[in-house]
Amino acid sequence: MTTNVPTGAMPQSPPRVRPRAPVQRPGRVGEESARVDGVPKVRGEFEYSSDLWMDGMLHGATLRSPHPHAEIRRLDTSEAVEMAGVRAVLTHEDVPGRKVYGMEIPDQPVLAWERVRYQGEPVAVVAADHPETARRALEKIRVEYEVLDPVASAEEAMRDDAPKLHLSGNVLRRVKVLHGDPANAAADVSVSGEYEVGMQDQAFLGPESGLAVPDGQGGVDLHISTQWLHIDRDQVAESLGLAPEQVRLTLSGVGGAFGGREDLSMQIHSCMLALETGRPVRMVYNREESFYGHVHRHPCRMRFEHGATRDGKLAYVKADLVFDGGAYASSSNAVCLNAATFACGPYHVPNAEIESHMLYTNNPPCGAMRGFGAVQACFAHESQMDRLAEALGMDPVDLRLRNAIEPGMRFPFGQEVPHPAPVREILEKVRSIPMPEEQELAGRDLRELPGGVSNVTHGEDVRRGVGYAVGFKNIGFSAGFDDYSTARVTLSVEEGEPLARVHTAAAEVGQGLVTLQAQIARTELGVGRVAVEPADTRVGSAGSTSASRQSYVTGAAVKGACERVRERVFGRVREELGEEGPLTLDGDEVLSGRRFVAPLAEVLGDDEVEETAEYHHRETHPLDENGQGDAHLQFAFAAHRAVVEVDTELGLVRVVEIATSQDVGKVMNPQSLEGQIEGGIAQGLGLALLEEIQVKEGKVLNASFTDYLLPTILDMPRVRMEILELSDPEAPYGLKGVGEPPTISSTPAIVAALRDATGQPLTRIPVKPEQIAGISSKPPDEPPQPGSAGYAEIGRLDERREH
Amino acid sequence: MPGYERAELTAELKVLLSGGDGSRAEIEAAKTAAGDTGLAHEAGPETMVLAGGRGEVLDAVTRVVGAALDAGAGGVELKIEAQGDAPRFGKQG
Repeated sequence: MTTNVPTGAMPQSPPRVRPRAPVQRPGRVGEESARVDGVPKVRGEFEYSSDLWMDGMLHGATLRSPHPHAEIRRLDTSEAVEMAGVRAVLTHEDVPGRKVYGMEIPDQPVLAWERVRYQGEPVAVVAADHPETARRALEKIRVEYEVLDPVASAEEAMRDDAPKLHLSGNVLRRVKVLHGDPANAAADVSVSGEYEVGMQDQAFLGPESGLAVPDGQGGVDLHISTQWLHIDRDQVAESLGLAPEQVRLTLSGVGGAFGGREDLSMQIHSCMLALETGRPVRMVYNREESFYGHVHRHPCRMRFEHGATRDGKLAYVKADLVFDGGAYASSSNAVCLNAATFACGPYHVPNAEIESHMLYTNNPPCGAMRGFGAVQACFAHESQMDRLAEALGMDPVDLRLRNAIEPGMRFPFGQEVPHPAPVREILEKVRSIPMPEEQELAGRDLRELPGGVSNVTHGEDVRRGVGYAVGFKNIGFSAGFDDYSTARVTLSVEEGEPLARVHTAAAEVGQGLVTLQAQIARTELGVGRVAVEPADTRVGSAGSTSASRQSYVTGAAVKGACERVRERVFGRVREELGEEGPLTLDGDEVLSGRRFVAPLAEVLGDDEVEETAEYHHRETHPLDENGQGDAHLQFAFAAHRAVVEVDTELGLVRVVEIATSQDVGKVMNPQSLEGQIEGGIAQGLGLALLEEIQVKEGKVLNASFTDYLLPTILDMPRVRMEILELSDPEAPYGLKGVGEPPTISSTPAIVAALRDATGQPLTRIPVKPEQIAGISSKPPDEPPQPGSAGYAEIGRLDERREH
Repeated sequence: MPGYERAELTAELKVLLSGGDGSRAEIEAAKTAAGDTGLAHEAGPETMVLAGGRGEVLDAVTRVVGAALDAGAGGVELKIEAQGDAPRFGKQG
């Protein structure tokens, strides 16, 4: 036993008080509606999960492997256990239930036992009276490792002689899409290219954090910042050896997610410590630990070949995509599937042969991130379309228009293209947006030149470039998974006025879902006041806040519950007031046409009308062995045009403007929509130019926001947008998910603009200055030093200038 | 366990060592057999999980248990779970 307090002790603190839902006065669907969490966040009053506090709580900390690949020879916690103020030290032996977890494949140890497979893998956890005591206790845990050579890349993992990282080998998934007859497809022109995407981080600002509170009866309440409460609950319960109802989760303030919180971090650890000590335990990762504590965007290498007729019709696409999944599966299966199905882009391709491979390595585990799978594929297929346009002597936008997919056609994975699929329209829209005026370079404000206030150029060698890209992605989960959502709506009179209460388990991660739920309730029930209850597992699952799906699925569930409540109110009006015609609710009143019937408060009286609704979207299906099937629910499309200015000598970039056109089905809240589009573009810009977790031999070299470069407001250009509202007949209000498309094609548009400005091939993202300046096609493994081969290759500045 | 694209069936096998000589040959034999099925992951020092379709998991279980017993294991603890709470279309309760 590795604890120095009695086990099974009653909690020393009462259960955490459930926060009250703030009452909103939202606008209707489609109206501008200020976010209920906006002002508290700006004022610093919003309670994020890292702010959670209870009297008497302990502080948890995690011992992590310093090695990406090693065998654990000995693990000794005795010194740590004896330290004053240390309340528990737990290892894999203390995991009461299943020792592994995983959203798709249970392959990840809660705490490592014989082997560690990535740098930062948890080995032991500690609870102590003070965070510093917990940290010092970690230093007292003795772990003897036998360090092994890491499998440092997906290509290495594929080799026959590579060490097997898991019992069944290193291949996690392979998806093949075979369409038409690619082996015999003829083309007048063909182009090939190899492309590479680096490991991007979600870079959310709120670190992983949570508070576990034992209930004194063997169960536990966990307050946690996550994207999917119910899948967390079920995994936690399984590893704790508890029934799901003994583990209750409540969403605490989430400081950004972008896929990085879809998987577990300290959920099981904090609950284990709380149950062991009988006291609340809070865990908060610091920034460096956060880089080890969540999954990242999959790096990948892609080989593409496109063939086309002389007049620019695509004849075939052949592609091979190899993803580095890192040490554990997380949601890699879905990424592999998405990449395979979106590899051809939103184009009509009569023949295709696509293979997507997902490999285990000793690199950090990768999983969900905004646009998962589609982001990587879009960079490659859009780069190829530009390359093909050049080979054909065509305008790149004209080539895209010539091949734009349309409703009624079939995607290469066999699914019929549903209506609306406005690829042509968004390309034409984005092209028609006036170009930004080209300003004189000389005499400009430094902030408007590449390099900004670093004062590195005054305009010499600065060139402008323009690039276009279009992308698409599935909304919601695919391939046969029923990612339903549940909503409970209660209508009553509080403080003399009708109030609708909405309760779901859907995670608000900053996208504005709480406001949207209130707008829907306001619209459907005609009430001025709405309170959205904190998300928790006391209501049925809402699925994950990912894949741009919550507005669609939870929006539909809230709408459905409101409709049921409304029908019960109408039933009462008909029964009690003898009304027979069609009724509506508006302005806290019951109306018949425009005629006032009764105040809603009077109809409700002291009663509560409560209804719960589940929304299940239409069925999807897994792909068959040739990668064919109706796998996806909904498709969202966006096009981007980037205008950049590049200092071609120093490789510095200023993105002047991003223009975009996106079909959103229905603008639910204009302010939120603009925020999603601008935020998505910022993340796309980051991937194009800045953001990469540098991993060498399995070790992360830049686990800080000093070294992991993020775009700031100074890097963000003006964004001009043309929004299409082409209603999806199957979706609530006709809406489409909007969160991911802005990220997907903004990146290749920026890179296309860089190519236009520099003439460099730029086949790897993020694009680094040395690629832009033509020094190297990819970042050097080591920084060049005088006398090194790299230094000689770069040469002296004045010599380079002459080339 | 619910989840996105979770397996239809999982089988957790814990190999019970036969003697106190510190030999783990039974476990290694079981791990090798499990690995060969293409369905396996480690789930503890003596434990592995097989996950996949019903038929392939049940078939794999026979082979892994056989390998462990052939190598001298004193027994194999087996826990099989149907992923009934992983909702698939047309199958939710």
